[in-house]
Amino acid sequence: MELEDEIFDDGLPKAYYKQNDKGQYVLEKKANAPWAEKVSCSLIILANRANLEEIRNAVLAGQKSPLCYYMEMRQMTPGMLAKAAGIAAFRVKRHFRPEIFAKLKPSVLNRYSNALRISLEEIKIVPTI
Amino acid sequence: MGEATVSKMNSEITVSGRAFIHQHAAHCESGVTAALFRDKGVEISEAMVFGIGSGMFFGHLPFIKWVGMPITTFRSRPRTLFPKVAKRLGGKFFTKEYRNAQKGMVALRNALSDGHIVGLTTNIYWLSYFPNRFRFQFNGHNIIVLREIKNGFRVSDPILDHPVDCSTEDLERARFARGPLEPKGFMYWAETVVENPDFRSACLTGIKESCYMMLRVPFPFIGIKGMRYLAKNIIKSPDKLGFPEACRRLANVVRMQEEVGTGGAGFRFMYAAFLQEAAELFGSDELAELSQEMTAIGDIWREFAVVSARVVKQRGQSEETFAKAGGLMLISAGREEQLFKDLDKVARKLKA
Repeated sequence: MELEDEIFDDGLPKAYYKQNDKGQYVLEKKANAPWAEKVSCSLIILANRANLEEIRNAVLAGQKSPLCYYMEMRQMTPGMLAKAAGIAAFRVKRHFRPEIFAKLKPSVLNRYSNALRISLEEIKIVPTI
Repeated sequence: MGEATVSKMNSEITVSGRAFIHQHAAHCESGVTAALFRDKGVEISEAMVFGIGSGMFFGHLPFIKWVGMPITTFRSRPRTLFPKVAKRLGGKFFTKEYRNAQKGMVALRNALSDGHIVGLTTNIYWLSYFPNRFRFQFNGHNIIVLREIKNGFRVSDPILDHPVDCSTEDLERARFARGPLEPKGFMYWAETVVENPDFRSACLTGIKESCYMMLRVPFPFIGIKGMRYLAKNIIKSPDKLGFPEACRRLANVVRMQEEVGTGGAGFRFMYAAFLQEAAELFGSDELAELSQEMTAIGDIWREFAVVSARVVKQRGQSEETFAKAGGLMLISAGREEQLFKDLDKVARKLKA
C-alpha cells in the first residue's frame, strides 16, 4: 500500500458538493479523498515527520533539549508554547539548549508538561526507537 | 448500511428533549450555523449560509507564517461568517468569550442544562476523535455540543458523518488553546430567530460583500489580486526557494484548497451551489448562468490541484511544471474576476 493511502486509511467520509444528473448541486459523501488531496496532504505530513525525526536525533546527540522535540510533536511554535505555558518566549527558546533544560526547576517543568500534555517523567527524555 | 440505521445514528436527543438531526456538512462554520438555525425551525442549507455570510474569499499572506508556511486561505476569517449570517437573517444570538477555563466550562454546562445546543470554537489539534491527518494547530474549528455525558460531552461535528463523544479534558484544551486566533472559549447559541427571514435581501447583501472582497479591497494580497500574486509566486518558486521547499509550498496551497473542509475546489463548488439556490429564489436566469460559470471555474481549480500533485509527486520527472500550475491559477483568476464583476451587476439590478 502506498503511503498516502495509509495516511488516509481511516474510512472517514468527507462531503463534497457535486452536480447530479439534473445539474442540481447535492452534497455527496465520499470515503475516498481525491488523489491530489492525498498526495499534497501526505507530502506535508511526511515533511513534518522527517523534521521531527531530525530533531529527535539532535536531542539524542545532545544538541537540543527534549522540550524542542515535544513542541515539534505538538506542531507548536515557540510563541504558542510560551503562551500556553505562561513563560516568556525568549526563555522557552533558551530552554531548547540541553544544558539549560537539564537544570530547570520542577515548577517550570510542570508548566511545560501541562501545556504539552506530556507527563513529567516523559518530558525529560525522548523515545529512543 | 440502510437508510433507517443512518437516520437512527444521526438522530440525537438534546437536554430539552427535542430531536436533533445531525447533518454532514462540507465546512465547519457554515455547517454549525446552518444546524443552529435548523434547530430553531428555520430550514436553511449549508451553501445558503455560506453565501449569505460572504464566506467566499481568497487571500495569500506571505508575511504571516503559520507552521513555517505562508497562509493561503480560500474562506473569510474564522468567526466572521456566523455573526454576519445572524445579523442578516435577523436572529438574536448569545455570544461570549471566556478568559478563565473553569468559568468557561461551567458556563457551557449551565447553557446545556438550560436546554440550548451550544456552538463552540475550538482548536482542531486537541480534538482526539479526529484521525491524525486532520490534527494540526488550527484555532478556528466549530462544533456543536448537544449534551453532557459521563466524562465528556456529546458532540455534533459537522465535518464528521455522525455525532461523537468528546472527553472533558480534550474539549477544555481545545476551547482554551493558545496561539494565533485564539478561540478563548468562544461559545454561542441562538436565542431567538425570525421565523420567516428575508432570504432575498440577505442573499443580496452577502453577494455584494463577496464581490467587494474579491474585486475591490485596496490591498494586494486579497481577492483576485492575491490570486495573481500567488500564481506568479508559484511560477517563480522553484528558482527562488529550491525544488523541495517550492513543492512544500505548493502542496500547502493544494491542502488548503481541498483538505480542510471546503466541499471541493476551495469552496468554489459550494458557492456555485449557493448561486443555484439564489437563482431559484429570485427566479433569475442570470444567477443560474453564473452558477454554471462558477462550476467551470471550480473545475479549473481541481485541475490546478491535480497538476500540482503531479509536480509534487513526480519530483520534476513529468511534463507538468510549476509554470503550468501557476498558469492555471492565472486563468481561474481572470475568469473569477469577470464572474464577480457580472455578479455585482446582477445583484445591483435585483430587487430584494
